[in-house]
This record gives sequence, C-alpha cells and structure tokens, in this order.
Amino acid sequence: MLEVRHLTKVYDDGTVALKDISFTVPDGEFLVVIGLSGSGKSTLLRCINRLIDPTEGEILWNGVDLAQLKGEDLRKSRRHIGMIFQHFNLVRRSPVLTNVLSGRLGYSPTWRSLLHRFSKADMDEAWKALERLGIENQAYKRADELSGGQQQRVGVARALMQEPEMILADEPVASLDPVLAHSILQYLEMLNQEDVITVICSLHYLDLVQRYSTSVLGLRQGEIVYRGDRSDIQAMTDEEFKEIYGEEAERVGGGLQGELQHDAGGEV
Amino acid sequence: MTRRTRYIPDEELKASLVPPPVASVLSIVPGLGHMLARRWKRGLTILGSIATLIGLLIWRFLLAAPRDTGFTDIVNKAIHLQPILLWISIGIGALYLWNIIDAYVVARNPRANPSGLMFAILIVFFGFGWQIGEVNLVSLFSGGENAFSVLGRVVWPWEQAIDRPEEYIEARAPILVPCTDENPAVPEQVPGEPYLMSTPTCGTLSEQDGTPGSTLSLSGRNFVPGEEVSILWEDPIGNEFRQRQEGAYVVVPADENGEFEVDIIMPYRLIPPSAGEGALLWNVRAQQVAAIGDPVASIELKLAIEKIIETIFIGMMATFFGIIFAIPFSFLAAKNLMSASPITLGIYYIARTIMNIVRSIESLVWAIIFVTVVGLGPFAGILALTIHTIAALTKLYSEAIESIDPGPIEAIHATGANWVQTVMFAVIPQIIPPFVSFTIYRWDINIRMSTIIGFVGGGGIGFLLSQWIRLLDYRSAGIAVWFIAITVAILDNVSANIRERFV
Repeated sequence: MLEVRHLTKVYDDGTVALKDISFTVPDGEFLVVIGLSGSGKSTLLRCINRLIDPTEGEILWNGVDLAQLKGEDLRKSRRHIGMIFQHFNLVRRSPVLTNVLSGRLGYSPTWRSLLHRFSKADMDEAWKALERLGIENQAYKRADELSGGQQQRVGVARALMQEPEMILADEPVASLDPVLAHSILQYLEMLNQEDVITVICSLHYLDLVQRYSTSVLGLRQGEIVYRGDRSDIQAMTDEEFKEIYGEEAERVGGGLQGELQHDAGGEV
Repeated sequence: MTRRTRYIPDEELKASLVPPPVASVLSIVPGLGHMLARRWKRGLTILGSIATLIGLLIWRFLLAAPRDTGFTDIVNKAIHLQPILLWISIGIGALYLWNIIDAYVVARNPRANPSGLMFAILIVFFGFGWQIGEVNLVSLFSGGENAFSVLGRVVWPWEQAIDRPEEYIEARAPILVPCTDENPAVPEQVPGEPYLMSTPTCGTLSEQDGTPGSTLSLSGRNFVPGEEVSILWEDPIGNEFRQRQEGAYVVVPADENGEFEVDIIMPYRLIPPSAGEGALLWNVRAQQVAAIGDPVASIELKLAIEKIIETIFIGMMATFFGIIFAIPFSFLAAKNLMSASPITLGIYYIARTIMNIVRSIESLVWAIIFVTVVGLGPFAGILALTIHTIAALTKLYSEAIESIDPGPIEAIHATGANWVQTVMFAVIPQIIPPFVSFTIYRWDINIRMSTIIGFVGGGGIGFLLSQWIRLLDYRSAGIAVWFIAITVAILDNVSANIRERFV
C-alpha cells in the first residue's frame, strides 16, 4: 500500500508544484491522475520514486518512508518501482535488447555493467519480457528505428525487467495515436491484473480514464480537487469537470467521450 | 516607391528635439543632427564611419607621398600615383553632403529609416579595401605566361620522378707536348675495354695568334654503338677541358661496331710555369655517357614518399594525443555537467576560456613556437597540431556532451541503477557517435594541416615542398603537390566512409 501524507514540493525558483497532498493507493489499484499541464502530475509521480526530492511530507510504501531514503536504500527501493515516460526515454542508439536489459541494472553488479554484460538469467528475463510485449522480433534493432508504439512497449518491457511492485506512468500515451494509446494501456492493464502491479498513471483523455482506471485523482495547481473511481468519472458533472480543468474548459462532444483541449504548456 | 520605415508604436513615438532644418545645419558635425533627432545609433554610426574614413584617407595620402611636404604637394603627388584616392575623396565628400540631407529626413519623420546612406558608407569602405589591398586585375592576367610554364611542370612533374643510372665509358691516350726523341708508346689494348689510339702520340699546341697546332688522328674501339663520344683534354696539372673545333665541342658518334675515327687540332692552352719545364705529358680522352640498367625512382620521388608517410603519421599522432587530452577536458568544459556549483562553474569558464584562446591561434603559429622549443622536425609539428587538436576537440566534444538527451539518464536512474551504471548505459551510448564523428573530422584536418606544417619546420612533406619552391624546382614541387593531393583525397574518402557508418 502506498500512502502519501502532506506532500509538498516547492521548486528552487519558488514555484509551488504540490500543496499538502495526501492520498492512499491500495495494492493492485490502477490509479489515474488527471489535470491540466502544469497541475503537478509529473512532479507527484517523480516524488514517489524520488527523481525529484519532495520539500515536505511522507511517502509511505509498505511501511517505509521513501521521502527519507538515501543512497543505497533509495536505489534498492527504486528497483521495485518501474517508470514509463511520455517520450519513452530510451537510449535511441542502443539496441532494443540493451534498452530492456537496462531495467535490470539495479540488480547487476557494477563491474559487470562496466563491461556492458548481463547474466544469463537476466537475458532470459529480457527475452520473456520482449515476447510478452510482442516485440521479440525487434530485439536487435536500434531503438530509434522502431515506431512510437513499439518504443513505448520497449519502455514497458524495461519497467517489467525491474520486477516492479508499482509502475509509475507519466503520460505514457500522450505521444501516441488513439489506437496505440489503447494498446499500451492494455499492456499496463494486463500487468496490473495478471502480476498485481500497482499502476499510477497520468492521462489526458477522459475516455481512456473511464476505460482503464480503478481510481481517479484530479489535480489542479498542486492540490487534489477530485477523487473517485471509474463509475464516479462516468457520472462526472460539469462542475466537477470545471473544478479540475478550470472555468474556461469545455467538455467536447457532450462529455464522456470528450477529449480535453488544453494548452501544450510546459510541464512542471 | 515605398520609403523604408521602422515600426514604432504611436505611444512611443517621440518627435525630433530640433526642427529638421536645424538638424541639417548641426550635421556639419556628422551625425550630430541625427542624435538631436533622437536617432542615437544612426548618428553614432555616421559619426564613427565618416571619422574613420577621413582618418584612413589622411593616412593613405601620407603613405602615397611620403617625401612631400605641404598640403597641395602631398595631394597632387598622391593623386598622381594613386588616382583611386581622388575617387575615394569625392565619395567621402558626397557622404558628408548626404549625411546633412539624411539628418533632415529623419528629423522630419521619426519613422523614416532610409538605408541609402549606410550602403554608400559601405561602398566607400570597399573603395579603401581596393586601394589598401592593392587590387590589380591587370597583373592577374599579364603574368599568365610565366605562370603557365611553372604550372605545366607542377601539373605533370613525373619526368623528375624517374632516374636513369648513367655511366662514363672512357679511354685515354697520352700525348707529349712538344715532341721529343722519346715519344709515349701507344697504349696497350685490353680486349673488351674501351680503347683510344692517337697518331702521332706527340705534337705542339695552337698558338695565341691563331697558328694551328699539330693534327692528331684519334681512333677508338669498344665504345657503345650509336652513342655520342666527346673528346676531352687533361693538361699536365690535371685540369680537364673539352676539345673545341670551329666554335663547337667535338662530338663523334660511335659506329655500329662501337668504333670511331676523328682528326683533331691540338688546342691553345696556357699552363702555369709550376707545371714544369720541357716536354710535358698531356692526355686526350674519349668519353661516352651511357645509360645502364633499368630506370629507377629518383631521389626526389624517394624523398617525397618518405616524407608523405611521415606526414600521415604526424597527423595520426597529433590526433591520438589530442583525443587523450580532449576527452577529460571536454567534461570540464560541458556546461550541463559543470553548472552544479559555483566552483565547478568557475572551472567550466576557465576551461572554456583557455580552449578558446588556444584554438584562436593557428597550428602554424604553434609550430613556430614549438620549433624553438624542440627544434626542427616532425615532433614540433606533432606538438603544434596536438595543441590545436586538444582545443578544437574539447569544444566539439563538450558540445556533444551538452546536447545529450537527459531523458534516458532519468529513465536509467529511475530503474535503481547507480551513477557508474547510468553513465555506462545512458551517457556513453549517446556521446560515442558524435565523438567518433568529430575525431575523424579532426583527423582529416590534421592530415591536411600536417602537409603544410613543414613550411615552418614542423616536419613532413611541407618542408620539402617549401624547399623545392624556393629553389624554383617546380617539377619536384609538383611531385610533392601530387602526393599531398592524393593522400588528402584518399583520407577524405576514408573518413567520410567511417563517419557514415557511425552517425
């Protein structure tokens, strides 16, 4: 179980990205975080695996406060938290297989990494992950030779290699077309249901939220303004919508299937 | 015609401080009218330009007529020698008048932005460029004839590349001057050796007044058939000279049996008293120059090959040393790695500054410096190219490091990888291709530079080339030029191929 208590993040330039946020995520949940660009979604996800250090608050995961971890302990905890990125963040010139294997680095001794080598067991795992995501034929291609959807599957496979108990997905489908978006989210759903991995995922499209989430959290200017489950989203009122997306936002197509138009502003 | 204007929002529009006619009058000091019309930049540009042009004009006049004094003398002499100075003076005068009109225009309309005056200023500067640069298109074409003979030898120098070993085939016969009772015997004939016989074996020399000396009948055997034989004399004190008859050297061809016969009149020649008294022994000689064996590479060709190999290795060594130093320096000069703390940022600025200074000094200058340190030779060239390579590669490498994608680093970090693993898997794969590409690019430059670093004593083929050019030995220079061209072309291709594979 993940329990976030009074989490606050203030950047060096004074920007308050998260304001005293508290919520809990039971194991096995598919939590979707929604909100405008700049509402603090990325910051929240990155605070959980400490790519960003929170200013205040606790992040309790299985009884350990991630916010207090340092050095080796932090590294060991990170191994069990996979992360998927909007722009995939693959090493573009490296082969797909190497990209997938790099998910295993947290478990590999440093000397072996210096030689760019992995154990036999890791190799087997990598092939299994590639097969599971249907990209075993692309294993020896350079990552940047793949299409966007395939690259994101490599990203998922890399996260899978960590044997994660939780996957953080930062707008994993924002760079993909709607069909590929469904395909990637289906893989995440599969991991969520088959492997009982907790997924925390930020999304923009409400139809995807309805389809995949078991629980929804709405952020606006660093504060939680909405909390509900899948059925709540379907019953979302215009007031709630405006609470999340602002007074000027308009639900397109009468609401439920609507895709939100928003500024492509800078992420915080 | 549309007038050029600049955009100013109405609320920021400010009228001239003075009315347009006053601005014009004030422009007697160039640019002052513009400044009072609130056109600071334009005014300063005009003032600076016209002041600079007048300064240049005075300097060029004084330089053209260094021995004259007095204003009119200098002006007359300088314009006589350099008519273009007159045109430039007229141009500057025109600029001055234009400046007064321009001040009126911009004072009347704050939005006016005519560009004609600026173009005119540029044109006058170009006039100076023409005069100072001593541009002379006539000499470019009138010197053509000389150039063609030189160019011909440079373009096709290969006669110089081949040597035919030659051998002197020679026989001699002693002649006593004057005749005595005991005249020298006819030399003995050795079978197979060239042989010369004179009849008689003594005689008297020609006199200064033109009285001809004795006639000698020479016959030779065992010479190379068909080749010319020249006749030489060796006087009693060992000086050699060729037999002349009727104003020309005596040359006879040997027949198909290698034999010849020729009559010669003994020459006029003074010999010093120290040679002795009485009858003295002279020698008459028959000599052939004959090619023997196959053609071989000339010394010039051998030297050129030796030095082009040296050249390639100078370039290689310089690149190699350059890489070794540039890699660590490039990390210090990469802003994204060094901006963590003020101390590292300081190191970054110091590294950048040093590298920029070093890079701005050409390799040839570095070579001159290092020749004074380690002496002439390839090592000085290697050092010079290394220094420049370090600076250039550091800049290129550090820019490659600065432009890496932070995404993969974040992603690998998030998997729980430690610092070393992150560098190995996220940083190095990103920087290797640009590093390889830049290194090969630099190698290419170094090979090209190493061909001329020898001009200042840095070893390699450039040294030969400069020597040969100074000796006006354009054929040999042509060989060097060909080698340089071929080497550079081949390496260009090789490096392009390797780069394609990596990028």
